[in-house]
Amino acid sequence: MKEIEITAYKCKKCGKVHFPFHDRCLKCRSREFETIHPKGNATLLAYTQIFNLPWGFDQRFLIIGVAEFENGVKAMGQVKAGDAAELKPGMKLKPSWDVVRVTAGEKTYGLVYQPIK
Amino acid sequence: MRNVAIIGAGMIPFGRRDEDTLLDMLAYAGLKALDDAGMGEKSVDALYVANMGAGILQHQTAIASSLADRLSLLPAAADTVENGPASGASAIKNGVLAVASGYYDYVLVVGGEKMREVTGWRATDFVATLTHPQTEYIYGITLPGMAGMFTRLYMEKHGVTREMLTAVSIKNQKMGALNPYAHVEMAITKEGIMDSPDSVVNNPPMADPLHLYDACPVSDGAAAVLLCPLEMAKQHPKTAVLVAGFGQATDTHTLAEREDPTDLKAVTLAAKQALDMAKLKPSDIDFAELHDAFTILEIAESEHVGFFKKGEGGKAVLEGKTSLGGQIPINVSGGLKARGHPVGATGVAQVTEVVFQLRNEVGKDRQVKNARNGLTVNFGGFGNNVLSFVLRRVEA
Repeated sequence: MKEIEITAYKCKKCGKVHFPFHDRCLKCRSREFETIHPKGNATLLAYTQIFNLPWGFDQRFLIIGVAEFENGVKAMGQVKAGDAAELKPGMKLKPSWDVVRVTAGEKTYGLVYQPIK
Repeated sequence: MRNVAIIGAGMIPFGRRDEDTLLDMLAYAGLKALDDAGMGEKSVDALYVANMGAGILQHQTAIASSLADRLSLLPAAADTVENGPASGASAIKNGVLAVASGYYDYVLVVGGEKMREVTGWRATDFVATLTHPQTEYIYGITLPGMAGMFTRLYMEKHGVTREMLTAVSIKNQKMGALNPYAHVEMAITKEGIMDSPDSVVNNPPMADPLHLYDACPVSDGAAAVLLCPLEMAKQHPKTAVLVAGFGQATDTHTLAEREDPTDLKAVTLAAKQALDMAKLKPSDIDFAELHDAFTILEIAESEHVGFFKKGEGGKAVLEGKTSLGGQIPINVSGGLKARGHPVGATGVAQVTEVVFQLRNEVGKDRQVKNARNGLTVNFGGFGNNVLSFVLRRVEA
């Protein structure tokens, strides 16, 4: 399995976790960050099942979710489920790093969440 | 700072305008505003053009320069303003600041977008380019998708129901059917889009829990306003409208980084700035044009502006408080939901509608009685850049 290639940034002054990168902390405007990586499983915070897909996706629907990792990193990803009805806020997700988009034959990798049943 | 007045306004019918280029539409709307102000051959000092996507959709850039040339405004200063779906209000704000500063006297602001010349999935992808490229866009998130996530959270936190969302849709399409500028001139019923077996076909899911009729259409269109110092407004034929207040605020680019994603902080701040500048409270506003790109946004914005407490906006729609003749009529134009949402045009179209209302020009079926103060909210990104105006009729 591919390693999750996400780097998040924890403010050295106030501890706020940022993802993606900001040049200054959104809370205290400090410029000093410690790099951290998503840890453990994630908790589903928000999700939707999209039926009108943008250019570049040749499938019936996509389920997109935002989840929070055990160390506070929050990140969007695709959720592998047959229907949004299978999901509930607060459920645990197993993250992986997989192909999320293919443009002109070029693969883009990103976060893919699998519900833990 | 000088007080700034809107002395001319114009727009063209929104919809699918295959026969017109983007520049055609911008020129038609610009000329309407100039004629409305009785400018004749008088010069304009500056032109601001609001547009989000000509570089992507039409493979055309520097459109303000093109429009200045097309309208024979030369040698007026000309700038294109791109601020996503809030480009229109941003362009007006820049025009207002330029006149208020004393640097320019006459400023023409034109907003327009031509979205129907590409396929639906290209248009969806184009709008999605405003999301964060590495942490959102790559996943296939769309603006309806953002709205879907937001809707589920807002429903859970504030008790909004599908019936409330549907009521927004029905109300706005009813008003759109009375608005000659609206893209969608078709009234709909609850039975047709929610209650009957046919509603499953008529109104399919779009971005769960939102359905097709919860979203604005993809439209072509343009609108324009002409600004000048208030003290010069008397030289022009129409009742002047004062820019009594404006505000603008930003929020995090990614939805995931908001402490409470249901809190539209930029809406609250922008509207508060506009109301404070106008020395008004939300209850002093007679009507509003809110950015209902999705039905949930009309309800959420009505609460964040302060017309209703959190959790009360949806009930207010069901009780008719936001309908014409109600406590605070919202989107009597039909809103983005029915007028359409050519992204660069929308913020200008909202202001244009308020001007027409304050001048008592929209006809008795849509006219807000005794309208003196109107408010707009133009919502950029997914709430990460929001502008608000308070406009006031200048009594003769």
